[in-house]
Amino acid sequence: MGDYVWFHDVSWHATYAIYFFVIGIVAGLSFLSFLSWHNEALKPIRASSAWGALVLLAMGGLLLIADLSQPMRFLNILNPFYLNFSSPLAWGALNILSFGIALVVYLLVIRKGDGGRGKWMAGIAALLALGLPIYTGFDLTVHQSRPVWNTPIIPVLFVAMAIASGSAVASLLAGGNAATQATLRQYLLWSTGAVGVMLVSILGTTHHGGSAQELTYLILTTGTMGLIFVGIGIVAGTAAPIALLLAPFGRQQSGVVLAGLLVLAGGAALRYALLMGPQQLQTLY
Amino acid sequence: MRSRRGADCEPRIAISNAELAAAFNGGESMSEELRVSPIETREVPGKRRFAMVVDTRRCIGCMACQVACKAEYDTPLGVNRTWVPYKVVGKYPNVKKQFLPRLCNHCDDPPCVRNCPVEATFKVEDGGFVLQRYERCIGCRSCMAACPYNARFMLPSHRTYTPITNVVDKCTFCFHRVTQNLVPACVQTCIGRSRIFGDLNDPNSEVSYLVATNATQVLRPEEGTKPHVFYIGADRNATEFPRDAYRKPEVMEQERSAFKRHFDI
Repeated sequence: MGDYVWFHDVSWHATYAIYFFVIGIVAGLSFLSFLSWHNEALKPIRASSAWGALVLLAMGGLLLIADLSQPMRFLNILNPFYLNFSSPLAWGALNILSFGIALVVYLLVIRKGDGGRGKWMAGIAALLALGLPIYTGFDLTVHQSRPVWNTPIIPVLFVAMAIASGSAVASLLAGGNAATQATLRQYLLWSTGAVGVMLVSILGTTHHGGSAQELTYLILTTGTMGLIFVGIGIVAGTAAPIALLLAPFGRQQSGVVLAGLLVLAGGAALRYALLMGPQQLQTLY
Repeated sequence: MRSRRGADCEPRIAISNAELAAAFNGGESMSEELRVSPIETREVPGKRRFAMVVDTRRCIGCMACQVACKAEYDTPLGVNRTWVPYKVVGKYPNVKKQFLPRLCNHCDDPPCVRNCPVEATFKVEDGGFVLQRYERCIGCRSCMAACPYNARFMLPSHRTYTPITNVVDKCTFCFHRVTQNLVPACVQTCIGRSRIFGDLNDPNSEVSYLVATNATQVLRPEEGTKPHVFYIGADRNATEFPRDAYRKPEVMEQERSAFKRHFDI
């Protein structure tokens, strides 16, 4: 009573969570386009997933620029005289740029029907795409003063979430192709399973303590944030699709699509909660 | 560095502060032993390392430091380079207001400098000031996320007297004053002489004496940032994460929503 507390705002707002979500799908779709050169079942979504990745990359890039308080200075981050290579954001900017170039070249190559070069370019684009969830994960992990963010597993979690979200969008692109949906079901199942395992690991570590971790655990698992993180992210977006995909209905095309939609909702909720939840505690310090 | 008004206030001792500090540390230099990163300048010969000591036993909570800082920099409403939160601790009749003046800790190993993608924030090697290049800042708020002390804030889009808007700002340890052999505005104005400023690499400075002869605390030492704001007598109720962060009293929620509404956050 009578205390004087100065309220601080969170550093990163929900726009960044939307960016995480979009860029995760971009990476996932790029992986699938690459895998289509090695798995015939994925061939029908080779071009559509690459085009989808390009559209979403443009959206993500615009979101990222719009989120800067000085949007016109986004070029500073590409200025070699300014770049600070100890910052994951600097690496991320180079990663996005090189990935965008590789993706455009890849699309041009497959449009020409050049199979040999297409396979190579798909590989290069997929490797650069792998950097997208990894760098976004590092964006959080390097902030060692924030519980949950500082867990080294976050970049790996983001890679698994990218595969899950990409497979979910691909299941919508695949339409009625049974063989493609069957393959995507496998990817959805295993990547969502990996996400579930890592979430349990993160929750367990966070719950273990000390005080900042315990308070962040409480913030993440109760109230509105609890509804988003546990309710939508873990129960509806991770556990339910796994159960659905294991059930007989999950082997049908409509079951895979439904599981994909749940994974997408869960992926968005998880990214929001993982970004916003661990920032709450700091606002009162 | 001595305050202009405070040359008389320097402690008068028979042996030098350097000898005293060495005696307290068993003849060894603790901070040299603890120096890990090449960016750290504490006890590096030939370099200054400015620091502030906040003696909370002498803080009366007048907020003059906060006001002096506002006046020095025309800091906009809703944000502060320095602020003085307080808590009422204890149970009647044993109650006390505990003040904890806060500012940028000008860390010796600052995570904000590591995190800025465009080197808009940087550390001055001679002096250890952590400063901001406004013209380079892109407003990604990565430095704000990296700071364990909430020392950084975003300037609003409209300001009356300056075009510096929409970039991250912070305390500079009054770099412009210190380079003119003045102490920071908050130190100059502190009526209880709670804030003391000087070169920690100078064994004869007052801050060296205070750090060597008192049990000091820094905020969140576990982060390894090597903060250079040292507290004497800081209360745990103010330095640790509060339970309120999770179970906030309703009145605090009302205050927070009013604050955010007022400042359009």
